[in-house]
Amino acid sequence: MPYYLAERDKKIVVVSALGHLYTIAGERKGRNYYPVFNFRWVPRYIAERGATQIRTCIETISKLASEADLFIDACDYDIEGSVIGYCVLKYACGNKETISKRMKYSTLTKEELEKSYAELLPHLDFELIKAGGTRHEVDWLYGVNLSRALTIAARKWSGKYTTLSTGRVQGPALKFLVAREKDIRSFVPTPYWEIKAEFKINGSVFEAEYEKNKIETKSESDAILNMCEEEKGQVEKIVVRRFQQKPPVPFDLGTLQSEAYGLFGYTPKRTSNIAQRLYLEALISYPRTSSQKLPPEINYEAILKKLSKVHKYKKLAKELLAKTKLKPREGTKKDSAHPAIYSTGELPERELHDSEKRVFDLIARRFMAVFSEEAIKQSMKVHIKVNDHLFYLRGRQTLKEGWLHFYEPYVRSEEVFLPPIKEGQTIKVKKLISEDKFTKPPPRYNPSSLLKKMEETGIGTKATRANIIQTLYDRKYVREERMVVTNLGFEVLEVLEKHCPPVVSIELTSELEERMDKIQAKREKRENVLMDTVEILKPVVQELKEKEKIIGEQLSNAIKRAKLEERIVGTCPVCATGKLIILYSRKTGKRFIGCTNYFKGKCETSFPLPQKGSVRPHGRNCRGCGWPTVQVRIKGKHPWTLCFNPDCPSKKERRKK
Amino acid sequence: MKCVICDRMAGEEGYCELHAKACKSVNEKYHEWKKALEISWKEYLSKIIKNPLTGEWAREAAEYLVKSGETRSVKQG
Repeated sequence: MPYYLAERDKKIVVVSALGHLYTIAGERKGRNYYPVFNFRWVPRYIAERGATQIRTCIETISKLASEADLFIDACDYDIEGSVIGYCVLKYACGNKETISKRMKYSTLTKEELEKSYAELLPHLDFELIKAGGTRHEVDWLYGVNLSRALTIAARKWSGKYTTLSTGRVQGPALKFLVAREKDIRSFVPTPYWEIKAEFKINGSVFEAEYEKNKIETKSESDAILNMCEEEKGQVEKIVVRRFQQKPPVPFDLGTLQSEAYGLFGYTPKRTSNIAQRLYLEALISYPRTSSQKLPPEINYEAILKKLSKVHKYKKLAKELLAKTKLKPREGTKKDSAHPAIYSTGELPERELHDSEKRVFDLIARRFMAVFSEEAIKQSMKVHIKVNDHLFYLRGRQTLKEGWLHFYEPYVRSEEVFLPPIKEGQTIKVKKLISEDKFTKPPPRYNPSSLLKKMEETGIGTKATRANIIQTLYDRKYVREERMVVTNLGFEVLEVLEKHCPPVVSIELTSELEERMDKIQAKREKRENVLMDTVEILKPVVQELKEKEKIIGEQLSNAIKRAKLEERIVGTCPVCATGKLIILYSRKTGKRFIGCTNYFKGKCETSFPLPQKGSVRPHGRNCRGCGWPTVQVRIKGKHPWTLCFNPDCPSKKERRKK
Repeated sequence: MKCVICDRMAGEEGYCELHAKACKSVNEKYHEWKKALEISWKEYLSKIIKNPLTGEWAREAAEYLVKSGETRSVKQG
C-alpha cells in the first residue's frame, strides 16, 4: 500500500483510500435470510468477498494515523468523497473526524491543490456526510431486503442460484422501461401517405413537401396526385426568417453523457469513467457535477492561454482571447460544490486513448463555444400553388457561424441553398412522388435517454444513475443498446408491482430523494427518513415472504425463458418479423443461426457459425449492412465481432483490399 | 386459466394482461386501416402480421385471430 512523504512547515504523510473502505452490513451474519433492519458500518473486507486489498489499506492508514497529530480530508469534494473521508477518519484513524480539516478543490491542477491546502476548511461538512450516509443506509435497506426476497424465492423453487436484484432506484428505472416496452410490443402501425413534388428551377431540381404532412387515406393521396401531375406551379409567397442560435451551455455530467452518447455512442457509464480518468490527470475539472455555471474564479483567460498552446485550438483560443470581455453563456442548473465541467488547459502527459481524446476534445471545444457569440441563420419557405394544392420548398443557410465555428465537428448543420425565386414566378412540376408510410412505435430507451428520464423525474443521483443502468444489463433485465426488456425484466417488475407497489413507485422514490437532500440542508432528520424507510419495507417484505412459493415459481420460469432469450441475435433481416437465434443441429450438434419463423414454416433463413470458442449475440448492428452481429471469443485470441451477412459491403471491401 | 396465446395467467376474455392490451390495439386500429385502404378485417390482419413495425404481442394476437377464424362482425357486436 503506497503512501507519500512530503515536507512543508512540518512532515506530511499523504495516503489514498481505495474508494469506499467501509460499507453497511447486517448485524447478523449470512445472506440467506430476510428481513434485515439492523445494520452497522464495517470494513468492506468483512462484508464483501474478494475485498482483501481493503484490509491492507485500512491497516496502513491506522498505523500512519497513530503517529499523526493533524488530519486533513482531501477526498473528492462531493457526497461520496465526504462519506469516504469521514469513515476513514472515524473508523481507521480512531474518531479523528471532529478534529480533521478539509481540502476543497474542483480540479487536480498543482495551483488549485496548493491553494486548497493553503486555505483549508476548518472542519468536515457534517450535514453533507449525514445526507450521504443516510442515502447509503436507505439504499442498503431496500436492496438487501428486496433482492434477497427475490433471489431466495427463486432458489427455493428451482434449487438453482441466480442473483436477482432490485433497489430503491433500480425498480422505478425498470418500470419506465417496461411501460415503454409494453407500448412497443402492443403497437399496430397505421398507414399514411406523404406527397412530394420535384420542381425544376433554373435547370436544377428541388424537392418540395406537400402542405399536409400526413395524408390519411389512399384515395385522397391518389386524388392529389391526379390533380397536380403535369401541372405548373406558381410561387405564391416567400417567407424569409432570420433567427439566432445561442451558444450551448457548459457541460454538467448529464449533458456530457448525453452528448457523448449521441456523438460517439458511449454509454453514460463509459463517459463517466473516461471523464474520471481525465479528471485524475488534471485535464478537466471534477466531472460529477450538476452545475452548468462557470464562475470567473476558474480564470477563463488562463485556461484559454494554455489551450492556445495546442495546435488545433490555437486559432480558436486566440479569437476568444482577443475579445474585450469573456463571459460564458450559462445554464440554469447549479451545484454548490463544483462548477460545470471544463478543460483545465493542462496537456496530457501520455498518449490518450481514442475515446479519451474524443471526450477531451469535446469538453475543450464546448468550453470555448460557451464564450462565443450566437450563430445567425436564415430559413426560407417558398409557397408554391399547384392547381389549388400548396407545396413548400424550404431553404436554410448560416449567415454568421458564431459558436458553431468552435464546436464545428459536433454540430450537424445542413445548408440548403435555393436559387433566386420571385413571387408570382411559374415553375414546372417535374415529378410527383407519393410515399407509402406507416406510423412508428414509440422509440426504445437507450442508456442516455433513460438517464435523462431518471434526471427529469428526480430518481437517483448524478453519481449513481449510470451504474444503476449498467446493473439492469448485468442482471439481464434488459439487453441491446436500444434497451429491450427481457422476460426476466418483465417478471421481476410484475412481482414487485403486484406484491410491493410502493417500492416501484416513482413518486415515492423521488420524494425520498428530496427528503435525503433536505438532511443536508438541516430540514430533515436522518432518523425520521430511516424509520419511514423501515415502515415502508416491513409490510412489503412480509407480503413477499408469504407469497414466496408463487413468486419463486414465476421467477424461476422467467429465468429459464431468459436463458433462451440470451441466444436471440436480433430481428431477421430477411423476413423482418422473426428473430434470429443461435441454435444447435440435432443431427450434427453444430451451432448455426436460424430464424424463429422457421418453426412456423415462414422463413428458412440460416447462417453458419464458427464452431470453436463461444459465440454470443453482440447487441449491436453491423456498421456496413445494419444486420445484427455476434461476438466470437476463442481462448488466447482477442474477441471479434462477426457479421454473418454473406453480402455485407464491408466484407467485400475488405476482400478487395 | 392460461392465456390462449401464451402461458401466462389469463383474465376473463382468455387473454393475459399483455395480450389483452395487444388485442385491444389490433381491434382499435382496424378502423383507421379500413378508412385508409378500404380493406376487409382478414386482409387487415394479414397486412399487420407482415408489417415489421407491428409489435411482437400485437402480431401474436393477429396470428391467433387469423387461426381462430374470429370475424370482425363478432368484435363489432
